[in-house]
Amino acid sequence: MELSHVSRVYGTGEAAVWALRDVSLVIRAGDFVSIVGPSGSGKSTMLGLLGCLDVPTEGTITVGGEEVTRLADAARTRVRGKSIGFVFQQFHLIPHLDALGNVETALLYRSLKPAERRERAMTSLERVGLGPRADHRPVQLSGGEQQRVALARALVTEPKILLADEPTGALDTKNAANVMEILSGLQSTERAVVIVTHDASIANSAARKISMLDGGIVSDEVLR
Amino acid sequence: MSTFKDLVRVAFNGLFARKVRTLLLLLGPMIGVAAIIASVGLTDSAKGDLKQKVAKLGTNLIEAAASSSFGGQNPTLPSDAVDRALTVTTVEKVSAVVELSNIVVTPYEEAQEKFETVPIPVLGTDSNLPEVLQVDLVSGRWINQFDEESDVRAAVIGVGLAREFDVLPGENRTIELNGISYGVVGILNSVELEPGFDNAVFISFARAELDFLNDDVEPNKMYVRCTEGTEKETSEALKTAVNLGGPQEITTDIKSEALELAAQSDRQLQLIVISMGLLAIIVGGLGIANVMSISVIQRSAEIGIRRALGHTRNIIAVQFLFEAIVVGVVGGILGVLLGMLAIFIGASIAGWVFVMASWLAPAGIVLAITISILAGLYPARRAAALEPLETLRLG
Repeated sequence: MELSHVSRVYGTGEAAVWALRDVSLVIRAGDFVSIVGPSGSGKSTMLGLLGCLDVPTEGTITVGGEEVTRLADAARTRVRGKSIGFVFQQFHLIPHLDALGNVETALLYRSLKPAERRERAMTSLERVGLGPRADHRPVQLSGGEQQRVALARALVTEPKILLADEPTGALDTKNAANVMEILSGLQSTERAVVIVTHDASIANSAARKISMLDGGIVSDEVLR
Repeated sequence: MSTFKDLVRVAFNGLFARKVRTLLLLLGPMIGVAAIIASVGLTDSAKGDLKQKVAKLGTNLIEAAASSSFGGQNPTLPSDAVDRALTVTTVEKVSAVVELSNIVVTPYEEAQEKFETVPIPVLGTDSNLPEVLQVDLVSGRWINQFDEESDVRAAVIGVGLAREFDVLPGENRTIELNGISYGVVGILNSVELEPGFDNAVFISFARAELDFLNDDVEPNKMYVRCTEGTEKETSEALKTAVNLGGPQEITTDIKSEALELAAQSDRQLQLIVISMGLLAIIVGGLGIANVMSISVIQRSAEIGIRRALGHTRNIIAVQFLFEAIVVGVVGGILGVLLGMLAIFIGASIAGWVFVMASWLAPAGIVLAITISILAGLYPARRAAALEPLETLRLG
């Protein structure tokens, strides 16, 4: 994934806010990257762009060789479904579906047979250690468990990039450690893991740390 | 195809998760469809009943009565009106009646006090009446030739009067007409055309003349059966034939036409009920649009995450539309069942035969679905327009 001279401006004219200014960045399979910075530094904007939820005002974004910035909304949505997995601070599970149903949601509308979809969702849940809790609804799960369901949902599509937005922000230390352990085990030669956070200790547990300030990248260091 | 199945499954999941809300959504199309089905079905059932009545009555019955152009009291037909009517070649059968006024009828002499207050019509008639009106007797027999020619005082009473006087079937009873004892020889069944006959007493013309009139009998009314299809011509011919230039004016009435006229007013009622049903469906549709719009706001996080997971705008829109369609289908089916139940109950109470046109059920369901789709369009578009980035509130 490559961002090339990307800028994102909100509003126009004098009221215009430059959330990102001329940012270039390459993320490769196997990367375990943290993006860190204070609030207002542009990391949320960065996350929206990396996740193809948003398009830049200037510059180009390429995912797996495909120039996302040239795609229409529907095509961009498909790229998102195919290549990117999301984990959010607030989990964003669908409350009326059980854990398995939530994971299966990521596999809907892909011409999969229900049995196959169920099997893949189950495998994914087992991967995060929640196989026995597949029929529990979000309210019946602890925060840590909910975040692991969200992880299973993000992973079930085998995305090339896993984007985690403050994944431990709403969790206690023990659960946070557990989630981080799973996350750090996920990067492979096939996949990059990107964690957006303002927590320095989490940022430092990544292999590569990108620090942001005022809409620009101030440092990009390899820690390990 | 698998996408379609996914859509239906997700719609059902969404609806089942919010049962009370879904139930409220169902009510609109359900009540609307039920009202329309019931009103059309009930009027059809009533019409079916009417057709049966007309069929039973026959279309060829004409009633001829005298009406005084001078507004005189108790206008009568000429005494030989029956013979005159029979001169019309299309006339097949004739029967006449005369109303005898101011006769006190009691089941026995001592009961005067109780029954005096309610006037009971006493009719002089001939032996043809049940045959012309196509009515049968509950029990006993009708007045016959022998009664007319002999000194026997025989009377037939209507089924309503028999009930009031507690006459048992087959019981030998007498009734008092102005104190003169008459033997009850039969009980006449209900006459659809002449509800008054239910509570009337029938005696022969000869007896009426001897006991209550001092004059020749001049009938008030005639019932005529004509050759099938000649009703109009016959009624015109009757006017001339019976009157023969006399001072009276004769009015004729084709009875089947009168019944059909009665059905017209039912149709107006049907229109009112149908428009009320349509109103219920439209209000129900607005309810769906309203509740679903709120639901879109409540579920914006769900929509956002679905979009992030790769569900396109179109999928989201169709998803919400499908929820509306499921509401329409289920509400429509329930409405049809409820409407059928209403027809069934209504028809059994009124004693009609259950009639429901075959197009009613599919039409009701299609209407419910159409309204639901229209109602779901706006919320679906709003759901699709949501930006995932805004609904997910990234950290």
